[in-house]
Order: sequence, then structure tokens, then C-alpha cells
Amino acid sequence: MRHTGRLWMRRILLPLLILGIAGCGKGPEPAAGEGDRLQVSRALGGDDLSGYARAVEPRNFRFPRDHGAHPDYRNEWWYVTGNLEDAAGRRFGFQITFFRFALAPEPPSSPSAWATNQGWMAHLAVTDVAGGGHRAFERFSRGAAGLAGAQLDPFRVWLDDWRLEAVSGNDFPWRLRAGAGSVALDLRLQALKPVVLQGEEGLSRKSGRPGNASYYYSITRMQTEGRLTLDGEGYRVSGLSWMDREWSTSALGEDQVGWDWFSLQLADGHDVMLYRMRLEDGGVDPVSHGLWVDPRGGYRPIPREDYRVEVLDTWTAPSGAVYPVAWRVHLRREDRTLEVRALRPDQEMDLTVRYWEGAVDVFEDGRPAGRGFVELTGYDPQGRDAQTDAHGPS
Amino acid sequence: MANATATPGEGPVLFVRDLRRAYEEGGHRRVVLDGIDARVERGEIVALLGRSGSGKSTLLNLLAGIDRPDGGEIQVEGQRLDRMGERERTLFRRRRVGFVYQFFNLVPTLTVAENIALPLELNGLPARERRSRVEDLLEQVGLPGRGGAFPDALSGGEQQRVAIARAIAHEPALLLADEPTGNLDADTGDRIITLLRDLVRRQGRTLVMVTHSRDVAAVADRVWTLCEGRLDRGDVHP
Amino acid sequence: MNSLFLALLRDHRRHPWNVLLSILGVALGVAVVVGVDLANSSASRAFELSLDAVSGRATHQVLGGPAGLDEAVYTRLRQAGVRDSAPVVEGHVQIRGETLTLLGLDPFAEAPFRSYAAGLQGGGMTDLITSGDGVALSRRAADRLGLTAGEGFSLEVLGERHPVTLETVLDSDDPALDGILVADIAQAQGLLDRVGRLDRIDLILEDPAAVQRVRALLPPGADLVRTEGRNEATLQLARAFQVNLAAMSLLALLVGGFLVYNTMIFSVLRRRRLLALLRMQGMTGGELGRRVMAEALVVGLMGTLLGLLAGTVIGRFLLQMVTRTISDMYFVLSVTALDLSPWVLLKGLALGLGATAVAALGPAWEAARVSPRDALSRSHLERRVGRLIPWLGWAGAGLMALGLALILWPSRSLVLGFVALFTLILGYALLVPLGLMGLSRGLAPVMGGVFGAMGRMAARGVSAGLSRSALAVAALAVAVSATIGVGVMVSSFRTTVDDWLGQTLQGDVYVSAPGRSSLGLNPLLPEAARPRLQALEAVQAVSTARRVPVQSPRGTLELMAVDPAPRTPEGYRFRSGERRAAWEALARRDAVIVSEPLAWRLQLQTGDHLTLRTDRGLRAFEIVGVVQEYGSDRGLVTIHRDRYDRYWDDPGVASLGLFLDPGIPRARALAEVREAVAGLDAPVLVTPTGEIREEAMAVFDRTFAITHVLRLLTVGVAFVGVLSALMALQLERPREHAVLRATGVTPRELGAMVALQSVLLGLAAGLFAIPLGLLMSDVLIDVINRRSFGWSMAHSVPWRVLADGLWLAVAAALLAGAYPGYRMSRARPAEHLREE
Repeated sequence: MRHTGRLWMRRILLPLLILGIAGCGKGPEPAAGEGDRLQVSRALGGDDLSGYARAVEPRNFRFPRDHGAHPDYRNEWWYVTGNLEDAAGRRFGFQITFFRFALAPEPPSSPSAWATNQGWMAHLAVTDVAGGGHRAFERFSRGAAGLAGAQLDPFRVWLDDWRLEAVSGNDFPWRLRAGAGSVALDLRLQALKPVVLQGEEGLSRKSGRPGNASYYYSITRMQTEGRLTLDGEGYRVSGLSWMDREWSTSALGEDQVGWDWFSLQLADGHDVMLYRMRLEDGGVDPVSHGLWVDPRGGYRPIPREDYRVEVLDTWTAPSGAVYPVAWRVHLRREDRTLEVRALRPDQEMDLTVRYWEGAVDVFEDGRPAGRGFVELTGYDPQGRDAQTDAHGPS
Repeated sequence: MANATATPGEGPVLFVRDLRRAYEEGGHRRVVLDGIDARVERGEIVALLGRSGSGKSTLLNLLAGIDRPDGGEIQVEGQRLDRMGERERTLFRRRRVGFVYQFFNLVPTLTVAENIALPLELNGLPARERRSRVEDLLEQVGLPGRGGAFPDALSGGEQQRVAIARAIAHEPALLLADEPTGNLDADTGDRIITLLRDLVRRQGRTLVMVTHSRDVAAVADRVWTLCEGRLDRGDVHP
Repeated sequence: MNSLFLALLRDHRRHPWNVLLSILGVALGVAVVVGVDLANSSASRAFELSLDAVSGRATHQVLGGPAGLDEAVYTRLRQAGVRDSAPVVEGHVQIRGETLTLLGLDPFAEAPFRSYAAGLQGGGMTDLITSGDGVALSRRAADRLGLTAGEGFSLEVLGERHPVTLETVLDSDDPALDGILVADIAQAQGLLDRVGRLDRIDLILEDPAAVQRVRALLPPGADLVRTEGRNEATLQLARAFQVNLAAMSLLALLVGGFLVYNTMIFSVLRRRRLLALLRMQGMTGGELGRRVMAEALVVGLMGTLLGLLAGTVIGRFLLQMVTRTISDMYFVLSVTALDLSPWVLLKGLALGLGATAVAALGPAWEAARVSPRDALSRSHLERRVGRLIPWLGWAGAGLMALGLALILWPSRSLVLGFVALFTLILGYALLVPLGLMGLSRGLAPVMGGVFGAMGRMAARGVSAGLSRSALAVAALAVAVSATIGVGVMVSSFRTTVDDWLGQTLQGDVYVSAPGRSSLGLNPLLPEAARPRLQALEAVQAVSTARRVPVQSPRGTLELMAVDPAPRTPEGYRFRSGERRAAWEALARRDAVIVSEPLAWRLQLQTGDHLTLRTDRGLRAFEIVGVVQEYGSDRGLVTIHRDRYDRYWDDPGVASLGLFLDPGIPRARALAEVREAVAGLDAPVLVTPTGEIREEAMAVFDRTFAITHVLRLLTVGVAFVGVLSALMALQLERPREHAVLRATGVTPRELGAMVALQSVLLGLAAGLFAIPLGLLMSDVLIDVINRRSFGWSMAHSVPWRVLADGLWLAVAAALLAGAYPGYRMSRARPAEHLREE
């Protein structure tokens, strides 16, 4: 669940705007101090949301139209994660995300095809459970001149040669192609369940203030097949993927530290989304919630009081961040207790924006009961300072 | 040079045999010196007389090692000057020869003391020793306290005193003088000659002095006269 | 040996003029060399830096045809996964009268390329992309232009003004960014009228496979070149110009060296008595020689240090001129800082000391040869010099023959050309004493007749004191001849260009879009211009032209597409090839004519083929003629418009030449033309041929301003030379003058004699300088210039330049005679009689 717009703004988009240009070089460019980032972010008028469309009330989602871009909103993303294995049972996790962010409410008036107010970022990660471990890449581009964008007829989201596109028209099957370094993906995605709307019919509120919300829908189960290349070795792989789509123009609560987000695909056909918005005081924000999707695609929200998450184990990343990597999840209403364990602990996304995003296994009563992905943010000690700083004057 | 100091006191200071020198002049050869033989012992004063153009200065130049003979032999303290190269002769002159000129030839841009110190400096004497030696010499030539003056502030007689001090400063074996009084009035000339004689006698130096004046020649132990390229060694003792 | 040094030093203190002037001479010589060197190296360095700044870390570049590169090529590369690539739109803009390079970049693609683009982080980048009128400058550039962040100002691009806002001030003190204006690529496309096109794509390609992969993705009109090679080629353009400047500055040092020689030999001659005295006291010749050398080196060191100091000042001034010339002729350059590289300063130090040492060799040798017996007579020396003069003459004749042989030697080497030039100069200098002897002997009766005894004595004094005066005159002649040679060269060039302009501008009136420049692409005329003008009654014929850069396997070339009017061919002077046949070939075949500089640089001849990258791929064109052309020293390829349109997709025309009906009064015809273009949708300029010619000559004069300045500086050194040599000569002879006074010459007569003698020497120097100057100009025109640029030139000798040379020599001589004359006439003779 990425409707925590504030954090995205703070954690990803601003640093991206600020550092992105320097950061997408080949070598590890020395990152500007976090203090600098935020200074620049103020100059940027980071919280000036005037001129953008806002998510105020539930909208009438229509597909495939809403698979395309909503450039009037400040940020938007296409987020695909999945668990794959080859015929020999070798396990892989993958993530690809296309982020769109508006640099200004309006594009500049210019006859040039390069003129735009849209910026794009994409992340690609592959986890080779048995061998090479976790690899992550990022890219940036302007959303113009055919370099990056999202379109319909046919459906296509792309940045350079990373692309997620309909094989024909706008409907499934979709094809995902992306590669970087020694990693390449060429996957075919087929939705197994219809779209589910998160929050209140797709309007996901962030706070009591109107407009501080996003539009958020997911396709929780997509049959995925194709080819994964790693260090020159090709693997025929298959498995399940999950897609999140969200767009918003949000400004936000100030005491949130980060979140733990779970997307689990259970062997019995159910899918579960859960998240915990962690607060500075160590508590969990009451807006946190989840979604329970049944095998036929029916779904219902899971309110905050109906689930509990216990951390069973942690891992210390080279960056110094301490991430939880095993959890026990209690679902009160469903009366299920799921044990979630990272396929391997080292799935940190060490990019311009640092977070943990990794493939997990689900166990129930000690037996495998499903697979999924977990996202953890706000654990980077540097990032936390920045977060704290940001609260002061704003 | 080692030999130069190896034999002081033994043998003549100056020994000349069959010395010849001629010049090319406008296509014909003019013989200036035509077989000169001479011998000067330590402590002797020799006056060299002769008409203008008789070859006095040529002989003096040969004795000083400034010029090279066409033939014959020149020994100073047993050293064969005629066999030395230009550089050797120069260095020999630096150590063993002193020169007093008719026109004083002080370095105008050096003070009196600096002029006197020049040969000492060339011979590598340390500065402190030079200073005391220069003071001593100024005293001896009767110019105490005038060391700081430049030559052009001095009268002719005074300049010649400085020149004498400079000539004997490095205790040369052979002192050569070219008409030292030629540019001075008679009185001053007398005093200069007296000074020169006293110094030479007192220090046991050897002096060969070109002069026109019989009076000057009177202080000499011996008087030679150059005539038509040959030396008439009257060996007159006063 | 302290007091020895004191003795010599105090001697200088008594004659401070000589030493001071010689220090001044060295200082001026070194200053000119160092100044030019600093200006050159600063300009080159700045250019390299700004090339680096512009091309960043790109290893390769994709270049398009004249109309640029279709921007879709970039998208294709990116979508094919060529990640380390960045699009660039580049052009020239004026801000407050200063020309800057506008770089249109995509900040998102910049990180691997231009590090300063990291300064476009955050808000800076956002505003630049989204504001629609945002531009970025480095802090230094903004300060220099007096702009602050957020300030609006206007840019002049292709003759039009555009309001922009300084959205971002890049946090960089890098001087390389002084001349660079950064804008978002969308904005730059709009400003430079390049919508849909790129000027190039920068790439980082690390292996041949990557290069092959990119090549396979390119359309036929696009070329993939190595950045290094392209930058080097660009730098190379200005190299001949810079080598020329450096050589001219060496001329000044040569003259300065003569001055040192002069002073030192004088100081030796003057102090011969003193030196002989020291020899008498037992100093060896070697010791004296070394001492004189040491003295010279002290003088050289003082002069050199002073020269380095002055050089940095001159350099600052010259830098402006060098920069302007380079910007006019080669590439837009913005240099604000003198690059005080220690290397240049060290080089200046070595040159100054080296020249002094070489110049002092003779005097030191002379000092070493002083015999203790020489203490008294001067005539001895004069006799020796008299004997030496014929030998010097032979040596001089030999050197000159060698110089001539070097010139005739078939070679393209510029350095060899300069060696030949300097050999000739040296040889000539050695001949001067012989000439002077003859001159003064011949003049004595004449002078006697005119000025009486004093005149005769003045003339005889020259030949009697030949050891001194000959040296002085030789030095002066060289100095003055340098000013004559360069003057004649510039004048010849100017006349040639003027003639050429007169012939090449066959049209009566030229019509062009405003904002033309000799660099970069020129703006296009509105399409309606040609038909509208052609329809006028007063217009008999119209020619069109469009000049564009094209790529070739041998680098970027300038291509001129001409649609000729019937008289157009007459504007071309063929150095090889035949006019009518050539123009027929141009119209019918794949043929081009090339300009002299290009033919020289690429060693092309009529009948060869020149391969150009067209929008249809590489094509070979037959060269059917080599023509004179002075518009560009890089060279120009001329092609017929029909061929151009066949191979390039660039339909625009930049200028029209109108041939008017002679039967219609010119004023009426012009009015008709102006009226016809007034209604066009964009403003155009109508310029009568005469004005173009004037403008072109103004640019020419501006380009050669630096040459004039160098010439003036050489004149300055020469003037100091005349002054010091003659003043030394006169101050030398107080005794001689005292004798004259004592024998009854009046002070006035004596002063007159001194002045006469000075003028005589100055005149001699001036006269001897003329043949050498003319010889020098011949070498400069036919060897140096030709090997530098390939231009052929007609020789033109303006009397003024010659007269200036003479005048300079005589005026300096008079001035030099004045002070000693005054001093002598006032001196009490007794003093000087006593002195020696």
C-alpha cells in the first residue's frame, strides 16, 4: 500500500527530484547530505500542491482507461512484484516500478516535443534466492519525446527500454520487458482476478483533511510466465505477480516514520494486503488497514483492530539499517495465523532512495501456505534523521 | 706552484737567458729584445733605463708573464715562465708578482681598502685576515684611516701609495714597477721612491723598476740600460 | 671574489642607463613572448575546458547533416537501451553584447556526462524544465554579466530577442562555464529554431561492439565520431593562428636579445681597461668571461622577472584580442581569466635567460680575450673588428644562403619556415657592419660638405667606432625591419582581401536574414523572399547561398550551396581548374570547388575526390577547381544548389544576391527591393555590396588588431634598442669629447656632432631595415602565411610602412643623441681629461 503520500513525497519523490540527476550515474555518486536535500526541497516548494488535481471523493474507475497516466495528479505509480520459479524449483523474486511525478502543474508552452512537466523514475530488482542474491537498479527520464510515459491503445508504460505493455490493445495479457546489468526479464502477465479497489471504493484517505488521499487499485493475482536472464544464464520461469496502481496529490500527517507493507498470495487462493504505518512514538497509525480478497475476486477491508503483526527476526543491512525479516501475522476475523519469512534477508533496495522490498514465504502451522512481497520503509537511520528534520519548521 | 714556494732563498729570484722578442709591424719585423741575459738575487733593487721605445715595457711584460717571449728562458724563483701556458702564467702572477704602474691603475669602483685587498682576495685569504693586513699596509704606506675613500678622492701621490700597498700586499717574490714616479711631481716622486725602497728593503723583496730618471735609479742596487735590444748591465752600485 | 663583483657592479651604477635600458629590452622582449604565450595558452586552455564542459565525458558523438539530427534518432537509441546517451542542442546567443554558447540539455540524461549539470538538482532542474523561459548560468558567469537568480533578461538569438529568466545559478566556479548558458532542451530548441532536431547526441561507448551497435541504429545522414578527435580538430583550427602569434612574439624576443648583446658587449668594451687591470692582477680570462656572463645573467634575470610581470599584464590585454579574433574566426570563446600556468612562466624565464646567455656569449668571449696589455689602446680593438668585418660578412652571406635554401626546400612545415626566417634575419644582421662601414665612408665627404668639420667627424666617428656602432645598427635594423615586415604583410593581406571582396561580390545588393555570423548556422530567409524579389522589374537575376557545416571522413567542413546567377561564376578566382568548365561540372555532376586553405590543409587538387556525409550517406564529389577565398581559413567547399538539394534535406536559403538592371537608377531599384521585402513575415536585411565590403574589411581589421599590437610592441623594443645603443655609444666617449672641447670645439658644435652621429646611425639602421623588412614580408606572405593557412596573396608595399620604419629609427636616434649631447656640451672638459 503506497497511499502514504507524505512518505512517498518525503522519502522518494523529493530526494529523487533533488538527487536523481546526480544519482543515476554509473558510479555511486556521493549523495548530498540529507540536510541539503531538505533545504533544496523547501526551495522546491515541496508542499505547494496548488494547481494539481486532488483525490477528494471516490471516483468512477474505468478500465482500461485508468491503467493509463493521470498527469493532473502529482504522483502516480505502476508497481509490479512477483514470485517466480523455474522447472527445477529455483526461486526468484522480482519487482518493477514505474513512478511518474509532475514537476509542475502545467507543462510549459513550447512547440518542442521535449517540453513537459512530467518526470519518470523506474526501479527494477531481482532476487535470486539460491545464488546471486538481490540486485536493484533505477532509472530516470523526462516524460517526453517518447522517452518515458504511459499510454493506452495499446497500453504501454515505459522508461527507455524497460516496458510493461499489452500484447495487443489494452487488455491482458501484458508483457514486461526490462533489463539492466546482468539481469533481464521478459514476462507475460495474465490477470487471474479482476481489479480490487483499495480503501473506500478506491479512495484511500491519508488524514481527515479532504484531498489528502489517493486513488488506489490493485490486481492481486496475475499468472506470470516467461524468461529471466541472470549473468548470461536464461531460466524459464513461472509464478504469480501482483500489481498496485496509485495516484494522488497529497500532503500529510507529520508523525509517521515509515511502514511495513505485506502483499501475500495464499495457496488456498486468498490474497491479503496489510500495512502498518509506524509512528514516531513507536505506535501504529490507526489509518493502517488491510484487504482480504477471496479466490473469486470478492474483497473486504481489514480494519486496523482486526490484525496484529509480531516481528520474529531482524537483519542488519550494511547501511546500518535494522530491518525485520520474519513476522507472525494474526488475522482475527479470518482466524488465521500466518508466519511470513523473507526468502533471504538481504533484499534492501540500495538506490537513491533506500528501502527494503523483498520476496517472502508464508507458513501456516509450520507448512508452506503461500508467497508474497513485503516492503519496509523508514528503517534507514539517515533517512530517519531527515524525516525528523522535516518536521521542525514545516 | 708547489715549486715556487719550495725554493725561496735558494738561487736567484729572477733568471733570464737569451730572451728575444720581435713584433710584426706593417709587414716588417721589428726586433725589440735581442738576447737578454740577466740575474737578480733576492732583496735586490734593479733600475731599468732606456729611451722610449727601447723595449723596457716589453721586457717588464715578459717578466710579469703578460707577454710570451719568442725565444730564451725566464725563470722566476726557478719557475720557467716561458714554458707556462697563459692560464698558468696568470695564476703565477696572481701569487708571485706585484705590479706598480705609472698611471696607478687603481680600480676606480673599489675603495682604497678594497683595491689593496684585491690580490689577497684573489689568493684566497679569509676576509678577517685581509682586513687586518690591509690596515697594516695602509699604515706602512702612510695612509692610515683612508681605506674607505675611493681613488678619485686621492691625490696622485696618494694613489701611487695605494698602488704600492696593493703590489706588495700578497708578498710577491718579484715586484715590477713601470715608471712609478713618471706621473708625479719631483717631490712626491722622491717620497714614493723612498717609500718603495724602504718597503722592499725592510721586507726583503726583489724589485725591477723601469724609470727615466737617474735620480730614481740612484736608489737601485744595480742599473741596467736597454739599448738596441740588448741589456747593458752596468751593475752600478751606488 | 666579492670585491670583484663590487667593482663591476659599481661600474654599472656609474652608468645606469645602459643597464637599465638593457633590462628594459629584455623585459619587453620577454613580456611580449610571455604575454602572447599566456594569451594563447589561456585561450587554448579555456577552449579545451569549455569543449570539455560542452562535450563532458562523452566518448562519441552522433552528428547530423546541415539541418541537424532528427530527434527521433535519440528516442530510438534510448529505446534500444543505449543508456549513456544525452541529446544536445547547441548554438550561439548574445547576452548584453557578449556571445555565449547555449547548450540545450536534458537534465535527466546528464548525470554521466557533464558534472556541472548536477547543479541542476532539485528546484533548479524543475524550474528549468517547466518554466518555459528558464536558463542557467554558472555563478561566475552570472556575476560577470551582472545577473542574479530569478532575474529576467533578454537573449539575442539569430537576430531576434527573446525574454528569458535566470532560473538557476549553477554552484560552480569552473571557468570553463564562463561562456556557457544552459537551458532545458525544449527551451533551447525553441530559441535556436531547432524544433524536432538535435545538434548532436553525446554517448559514452566503452567498446567497439557498443560503437557498432550504435552505428547500426543510425540513419544514413548521421555520423558517429569520436569526441576527442572532433575536439582536437576544432582546436587545430586556431593552431596556425596561434603559432603565428607565438613566432611574432619570438621576433620581439630576438630583438630583445640583440639589445642584451648590445649592452653587454658595450659594457665589456667600455671596461676593457678595468678588465685588463684585473687580468694584470692575476685573473684568468675564463674567470673574467664567466663574470661577464654572470653579470649578463643578472641583467637577464632582472629583465626576465620584470618581463614576466609585464607579460602577465600584456597577456591580459592580448587575451582579449586573441579571444576576439578566435571568436570571430574559429569558435565562440569566452575567456575571462588569464591562465597563469607555471609552465608558461617557466618557459618565459628559460627563454629570457637563454636569450641573454646566448647574447652574452660573444661579450663574455670578448672579455675572456682581453689581454693585460690591452689596458691602454682602443685602436687595437678597432683593428681587430676591422679585420673581422669581412668574415662576418661571409658568415652573414652564408647564413642568408642557408635561409633561402630552407625557404625553397619543398616542405609544409611551419616551424621550418620560421627557422628559415630567423636564419635570414641573423645572416642579414651579420652583413650590417660591412654595409655600415661602406655607408659611413661614403657619407663622410657628403656630411663634411653639408655640415662642415663636425659632420665629417660625426661620419668618421661611426666607422672608427665600428666595434660599437655596427653592433648597435645591426640590432636596430633587425628591430625596425620586424615592424616593416609585419606591416607589409598585413597590408598585402588587406589589399588582397579587399580586391577579392570586390570581385567575389558580383551581386549589387544582398538580402539576408538578420543575425548572420561567420560562425554557426545562419538564419534562413522567409520562403517568399526569393519569388517576390525575382518578380521585381529592377532585378535581372538572383543568386542564392546557404552555408552549412557538413561532416566528412576528414572532419567537419564548411559547405556553401550556391544557386548561381549568370554572373556569379565571375566572382571566383580559380587557382587551378577552369572557370567555365568548372561551373558546368558543378551544375551537372557530383562536383565541388574547394578554397585554397582547404586544398592546402587537406592536400587536395583538382581532379581529386572529396567525400562528404550527405543525408543519403557518404558521397564522393569530384573537385573541379581550387579558388581563392578569404572568408574562412578553415576552407570552404562550394556546391551547386541543385546537387545540394539532391543530397541534403535542407531547403532553406540564407542569403540572396540580387543583380539589378543597370538601366534603372540604383536608388529606385533599392527602394523597390526594400518595399518588396517589407511585407515579408520576418524581417530581412538589404545590404548594398559596398556596405558588405566595408563590414568585411572592418572584421578583417579587427582580426588583425592583435598583429598590429604585436608590431607596436616590437616597435617599442626597437625604440628602446635604438635609444640604449646610441646613448651608450655617446656616453662612452667623454674623453674623446673632452679632448675636442679642449681643442676649442664649442659646446653647441659638440652637441650637434653627437646628434648628427646619432641620426646617422639611426638613419643607417632605418635604411638597412628596409631590405630586410621587405625580405621578411616576402617570407611571411609566401612561406609562413601559406604554410599556416594556404592563402595566396598579392604583395603590396605601402610607402607609409617603410617611412614609419625610417622615422622610428631616426626619431629614436635623435632622442638617444639628445641626452648625451646635452651632457657633453655642459661637461667641464678638464674633468674628463683627468678621469683616464
